[in-house]
Amino acid sequence: MLEVKSLRKVYEDTSRTVEAIRDVSFSVGQGQLVCIVGPSGAGKTTLLKCIAGLLAPSSGDIILEGQRVVEPPPAMAVVFQEYGRSLFPWMSVHDNVALPLKHKKIDTARREALVRNALSAVDLKGVEAAYPWQLSGGMQQRVAIARAVAYEPHVLLMDEPFAAVDAQTRADLEDLIRVLWHRLRVTVLFVTHDIDESVYLGQRVLVMSHAPTVIMEDVEIDLPDERTQLETRSMNRFGELRKHIYSKIQLAKQGWRPPSE
Amino acid sequence: MKALLPPRPRRIAVAFGLPAALIAGWWITSADSQSFYFPPLQTILHTFGKLWFSSKALPNIVPSLWRFSVGYLAAAFLGIAIGVPVGASRNLRNVLEPVLEFLRAIPPPVLVPVLILFTGIGNEMKALVIVFGCIWPVLLNTVAGVRSLDEVLAETVRSYRIGRLSRLQHFVLPGASPQIFTGLRQALPIGIILMVVSEMFAASDGIGFSLVQYQRTFAIPEMWSGIILLGIIGIVLSLIFRAIEARLLGWYHGLRQSQRAG
Repeated sequence: MLEVKSLRKVYEDTSRTVEAIRDVSFSVGQGQLVCIVGPSGAGKTTLLKCIAGLLAPSSGDIILEGQRVVEPPPAMAVVFQEYGRSLFPWMSVHDNVALPLKHKKIDTARREALVRNALSAVDLKGVEAAYPWQLSGGMQQRVAIARAVAYEPHVLLMDEPFAAVDAQTRADLEDLIRVLWHRLRVTVLFVTHDIDESVYLGQRVLVMSHAPTVIMEDVEIDLPDERTQLETRSMNRFGELRKHIYSKIQLAKQGWRPPSE
Repeated sequence: MKALLPPRPRRIAVAFGLPAALIAGWWITSADSQSFYFPPLQTILHTFGKLWFSSKALPNIVPSLWRFSVGYLAAAFLGIAIGVPVGASRNLRNVLEPVLEFLRAIPPPVLVPVLILFTGIGNEMKALVIVFGCIWPVLLNTVAGVRSLDEVLAETVRSYRIGRLSRLQHFVLPGASPQIFTGLRQALPIGIILMVVSEMFAASDGIGFSLVQYQRTFAIPEMWSGIILLGIIGIVLSLIFRAIEARLLGWYHGLRQSQRAG
């Protein structure tokens, strides 16, 4: 479904050159939920932006459904961390969700249905006429997710989407993502700095090293498919996985890197 | 939001308080005036009623307001039309900046004799003077507004592959509109001033023309009444502007209020 091949990204400036990503390769199968976790400065956002087609890599390829990504592809939707800044403040919630659909050449009836379904899928009722700034942070992020869902993407990219909401809201939104993922059978790539979140959500967790970034490990999460905040997080296996990833991150912070092949 | 508004009578009293006091003060201190150049306010107001509410008034007021409208709206349109691409492109800014800075520094009234040579003494000359003065605040504020568009929103627009025209309509213009309106508001008094000034040099009708006529023929109360009329026109235009702005930037005021509330 999605393949990242030997991705390398170097930022060149008049004063200095920064190698953000050295060599990242992985693939994501159709319908998988993969989390990307790493220390701050690990280039996670850079990686996501390259995959999303928003940033051109210095070398390497992103292949989505057999096609190279050179610009934002129509089969992908992105949910950003700063929900307040990614919604249009001059449009109502309804118009915010509907806008990307206006360019997809769908007729009005279907578009309205998509908007309605997306908003109810994220548990937002009665806010269609409200403006984003009238809503709470958690609700705003739900609107951003609804917008991505209404777009009917094949791949959903999420860049630390819950980093800026409170813990209670974050727990609800995490469960929402799992529910949506199950229902829509969409492929999800979820970037986070929160190790617990990555283990709770993912089928796989890609652990990133510090910049210049490479993948430290591709951890398989063999927790049951039905997950709840209470049960899953208190399982022994959860603790083991978490500890394993946490220790890898600590190594990454100390600058440890996997031996090159 | 309704709860935040103080009761209407109080607001009106506060707004009218100082002007009423100043007018009363003017009335009282000028009541017994024998000075030729500073007649009693009572005389001026009497002349005002006689002059500007008569049938002779409209042939002067209408042309002036027409020139102002044409000039102001043309300046607004051009300022925004040029400001958007300049704001969006760093290359364009670097190329145009020195020229724009130079043109901006020229005081518009100075151009009146020059424009008379090129365009005569008709309405075109006056409208052009107004355009030349009003375009700068609109242009520069549009550039600033476009430059300050939110980056995250820009990336969102790109990630959803939103087309260029739609981008302009749904992202660039609304996003820059608070700043654009600041520019339009600054251009308003400039336009009124230039409307009058352009009519003082070479005209056959208009408020500015009338003012100069009265001055030359020493019709002093008439002259003063013309000045008051200009002030009233300024206030009315400002109120109309604020009404339009409140309608178009309702979302912005709401946003700022919610941000301030925390």
